[in-house]
Amino acid sequence: MTTTTPPTGTTGSRPADRPPQRPVRAAADELVDVSFTVNGTPVSIRVPARMHLADALRTLLGLTGTHLGCEHGVCGMCTVLIDGDAARSCLVFAVQAEGTDVVTVEGLGTRERQHPLQQAFSHHHGLQCGFCTPGFLLSSYDLLVHAEGPLDPQTLPEEMSGVICRCTGYRGILAAVSDVAEAHPEGVPEPMNCAPRTLVGRGGGMSRSALAEAPAEEVAEEAPTALTRPTGTPTITVTVTRQLTSPVEDVWAVMDDVDRLARCLPGAELTADLGGDRYRGRAKVALGPVRLAFEGLAQITGRDADDHRLALLAQGADAGGNRTAAEVGLRAVALLDGGTELRADAAVFLSGRIAQFGRALAGDVSQRLFEQFADAVDETARTGTAPEVGSGPSALAIGVQAVLAAVRRRARAARRALKGRLARRRKD
Amino acid sequence: MKPAPFAYVRPATLADAIGELAATAGDGKVLAGGQSLVPVLAMRLGRPGTLVDINGVAGLDTIERRGPVLRVGATARQRSLERSPKAAAVPLVGRALPFVGHRELRSRGTVCGSLAHADPGAELPAVASCLGAALEVRGPSGTRTVPAADFFQGAMTTAIGPDEILTAVEFPVAGPGEGFGFAELARRHGDFALAGVVTRVRSADGAVAEAVISGFGVSDRAVTRDVTDLLRSVAGRDDLEAALRPGTEELAHDVVNTSGDQHGSQGYRRRLFAVLAARELAGAYRRSTEGRS
Repeated sequence: MTTTTPPTGTTGSRPADRPPQRPVRAAADELVDVSFTVNGTPVSIRVPARMHLADALRTLLGLTGTHLGCEHGVCGMCTVLIDGDAARSCLVFAVQAEGTDVVTVEGLGTRERQHPLQQAFSHHHGLQCGFCTPGFLLSSYDLLVHAEGPLDPQTLPEEMSGVICRCTGYRGILAAVSDVAEAHPEGVPEPMNCAPRTLVGRGGGMSRSALAEAPAEEVAEEAPTALTRPTGTPTITVTVTRQLTSPVEDVWAVMDDVDRLARCLPGAELTADLGGDRYRGRAKVALGPVRLAFEGLAQITGRDADDHRLALLAQGADAGGNRTAAEVGLRAVALLDGGTELRADAAVFLSGRIAQFGRALAGDVSQRLFEQFADAVDETARTGTAPEVGSGPSALAIGVQAVLAAVRRRARAARRALKGRLARRRKD
Repeated sequence: MKPAPFAYVRPATLADAIGELAATAGDGKVLAGGQSLVPVLAMRLGRPGTLVDINGVAGLDTIERRGPVLRVGATARQRSLERSPKAAAVPLVGRALPFVGHRELRSRGTVCGSLAHADPGAELPAVASCLGAALEVRGPSGTRTVPAADFFQGAMTTAIGPDEILTAVEFPVAGPGEGFGFAELARRHGDFALAGVVTRVRSADGAVAEAVISGFGVSDRAVTRDVTDLLRSVAGRDDLEAALRPGTEELAHDVVNTSGDQHGSQGYRRRLFAVLAARELAGAYRRSTEGRS
């Protein structure tokens, strides 16, 4: 513990000599005993490891002043103090609170004896519906208790940006925090309602209740059964070109063979040929802690053998309710040096939770994926058989992969059927 | 937004933690601060069978100066480093940390966790890359040290094996004549950057000895380039930032390799990178000559 400067207040701070948390080993269906301090009261509860601290506070200890908004660390509603520092209680598992000192809004003050921050929020009308107020109070307490010198009005909005308010426009909140900082230059008073007392949970001590509505395994999202062209603005658009060494005829031969084409895409697999250039398939994505498996449909919507163009439409869904759809255009152009330029244009639509991971990340991954795909096409064109591309290391273009993956699956069955058909076909 | 069930182990020693991780045969994840991992679990984008919580391992949360490096252990919180007087030895870390998420996330989030998660838009991987930090990775077959240049292998992909743990990072402390720069543009404070740059310049008597830039949010990982020649070619100019712009615009075409999203096209990110790169290279050079780092 060479690092932490203790906060000026003593309540909720972490003693430097606290022993390490005790070892634990718990199976997924096992409850774990956790002991910690909440608002000055020592508590012991039994929780499933997957229960986050906010649920434990609300359900097992009856401290419903800690609110839950997004439950994945974005909104700040659930902000509490853990060992004196403001933290998101939805991003800390209750088991991790072992031995810590937690302060919630209930510990800050009482109705009759409000903390200066509570008085200031009231005075400045720093709340309307009040849902964000507990989070703001504890976030601002943390800011003031650790502040060195006076607050800078220029940076205060950024300092307070860890909690979201949808009512007030923030001005009242910032005014309230500034006021308290000015009124207490020597440091904001400690939480005023921390003392041993009896805490009773809403669930009568049933530690599973908070998770009752959260099934261990959700009902699998049904894989799409019909393809529809996505509308609206794509979540990401990807355009990639890659120079291949193989001549354009060889590259086109791979593009025109759905089976081989699909095998060039990391993580994808064709599972059925539905006829009419439609395929069923699945695609796996593994990126850091993210693991997704999409089931879906793909269709070749355009094929131009003279111009070496291929157009695909694909969509998929995974067990977690994530959906993806993509329109992909592939074009091979002969180069003067005898090689080929392979160009892909993809419009990818994401919905469900993966959309929140969207950003450029999905695009970057898609781009790398396509590069691997293009190299595999090149090798297949050279050798005649698709290389082992594995399940895609970093590769998982969340959207494109799913799409192409879906294509891949069906490819095998498709191949035979395709042979009879001719190269030139347009459906759109 | 409740994670799927997982087995939970909190070993008391690093050896036990590695053993537990190895026993999961690839189905386990290390839990330190959890500020990147828990949202993934909550959204059920990942459902590892076992979480190995390393917060019970004593001594992993240390921040210590070891000669020419500042060593930050696996469970040292970002906010602990922000507050540590020792962090002054690595000024770039001090510049970057306030941009890592929000205060409330840095209370729990760890420095090593951010590096191990390797989000391409994250600040700390770029800092580690720009400084040439060394990452200490421990597994069943022992401890190895991986230079930052080899550590980051793609979006959320690193050199850490499935049965290994990132136990510490060592940032080189600033030497004489070194100056640094950091800037990012995000839609809101605390968001991942649309584009960001980290710069390091070493100069002696006004002459540029070394200049390095890392961009983040611009590719599938932090991208680092030696720009000594670029900076040297214009170092004497009055308006250094303007003089650097043609060079950084060219550099942007090499470095910015992202596909763009609803918040910014690739072209926008290139412009952004070029502007920030010129500004922060000029700033880092100025500070290097003024002895301010």
